[in-house]
Parts: sequence; structure tokens; C-alpha cells
Amino acid sequence: MSQVNIPNVKIAVVDDDLLVRDFVVTVLMYCVNRDVLSFDSGLAAWRYIEDNESPDIIITEIDVPGLNGFELMAKFKEKSPDKKCLLMSANPDNEQPARNSGADVFLAKPVSVNDLFRVVQTFVVRD
Amino acid sequence: MIKLGPASVEMRAMSEDDIFSSRLKLLIIMAKAYLRDCPLGNYRKKAIIENANHVFYHSLHLVSESSALKDNGFEPQADIVSKGKTSEEHLFHQRVQLLAVMAKALAEDRLRGHFRKKALTDNLNKICETLIFKFQIRDVNFLKVA
Repeated sequence: MSQVNIPNVKIAVVDDDLLVRDFVVTVLMYCVNRDVLSFDSGLAAWRYIEDNESPDIIITEIDVPGLNGFELMAKFKEKSPDKKCLLMSANPDNEQPARNSGADVFLAKPVSVNDLFRVVQTFVVRD
Repeated sequence: MIKLGPASVEMRAMSEDDIFSSRLKLLIIMAKAYLRDCPLGNYRKKAIIENANHVFYHSLHLVSESSALKDNGFEPQADIVSKGKTSEEHLFHQRVQLLAVMAKALAEDRLRGHFRKKALTDNLNKICETLIFKFQIRDVNFLKVA
């Protein structure tokens, strides 16, 4: 039996690649049946987070303009330590720094539908 | 920390073809979930329509690109792993475009009746036969929560 861990979950996706960002948003919107926030830079995401209730989950590409993924995560975790931050990257050299900096998930690119389903199953809905 | 995705040696930036094949898989899952009576909320419907539009137009683009290459004497290439040759690829893309139209119809509550659902099932089966794509419906039991 599935259980909702985070009712009315609020998720934000940050990536300056429009095709990737829209794909991730579509998968997550379908899974959780909720609107998903979308930003093309770390700075735009942080401006939103500063002025609003923090998202429950933020999924950010590491290499984004403004604030990079590590900087955005540091600010986000400082404001909301209990919320989840997932770092995405196509660069394997970013995995260890992601681990060291306290990311909840390192999402290696190319991202698949199953990877995103696993994110929802792990943090939003449990079988 | 959980690591998801490919092994380090297989990591790379996502190409347009990666996005197309991932969106096509998602469309198949969306249609299969519908046939298994998973609930459809407003945002799920919106996601299905957006995904169907993307797959439809990208498939059209791939077909026209492939025709242009053939006209110029080049062999068409596609990252989608299929068994077919050129005419079968054309048929495959027609089926993909049909799936996109059907998915939009189901999201707009226009895919009603036994025979339309049967046509959707048949089309899905044919596409999955062509793609090397094994997907178990039990993997998406969590979609039963909307």
C-alpha cells in the first residue's frame, strides 16, 4: 500500500538547460499531481526561496548561473535544514564534492524516468 | 547520500535524443497507468498533454530530418534502439505520433469506449515490441496515490 510522506509536496527544479528542466518538471508534475516550480538559475531559485515558504525538495543542476548548485544548496539547507536537496550533474568529478557538502541525492546525467520515479518513491510516496 | 543514474563512466550531458527517448518512455508509462485506472488529476493531465506535444513534434522532426538525409544520400541515425529498417522506422514514428494523439485524448477525457482503449493497448504493444524497453506496471504502484 502506498503512503504519502509529504502531502501537497512542493518541488523546485533548477537547470539552465530548458529541455532537461522541462523534462524533469513534466515527470515530477505527473508523479505528484502538483505544480512544480522551475528556475533557470540558482539566483532566481534563491530569490524565490528567500521570499516564500521553502520547497520540500529542490533538484538543482550543479553548473547553473548566478549561484551554482553547491552555493544554492548551502543557503537552502541553512534556511531549511530538514528539506531535501538533490544535485544533478553530467560531470563525475562532482560526485564526491556533492557527498562532502551534504547533498541528499547525487543525480547523475543523463537522468532517466526511473531515476525520477525513485526520487518520488523515496521522498514523497512510499510503497 | 543516495546516488541515482548511470555509472561515472557513462555520465554525460543530455542530448535532444536522450530527452526524446525518455519522454517517449514516460508517455508509454502514462498510457499504461491510464489503462490500469491510475487516477488522473489536473496536473497529471497537464503533464500528459505537455509530454504528448513534445513527443509528437520531436517525432515529426526526426522523420523529416531522416527524409532530408536520405534525399542527400546519407544513412539516417537515431539513438532510439529499434529493430527496424527505414520503412519500419517510418511506421514506428507513425505509431509514436498516434500514441501522442491518443495520450492527449485520454488527458482531455476523449478516449472513451472499449475499442478506443483496445486501439491504445494494441498501439502500445507494437511500440514496446519495437523498442527494447521492458517495463513492469508494478514499478509504478505509487502512481495510485494522486
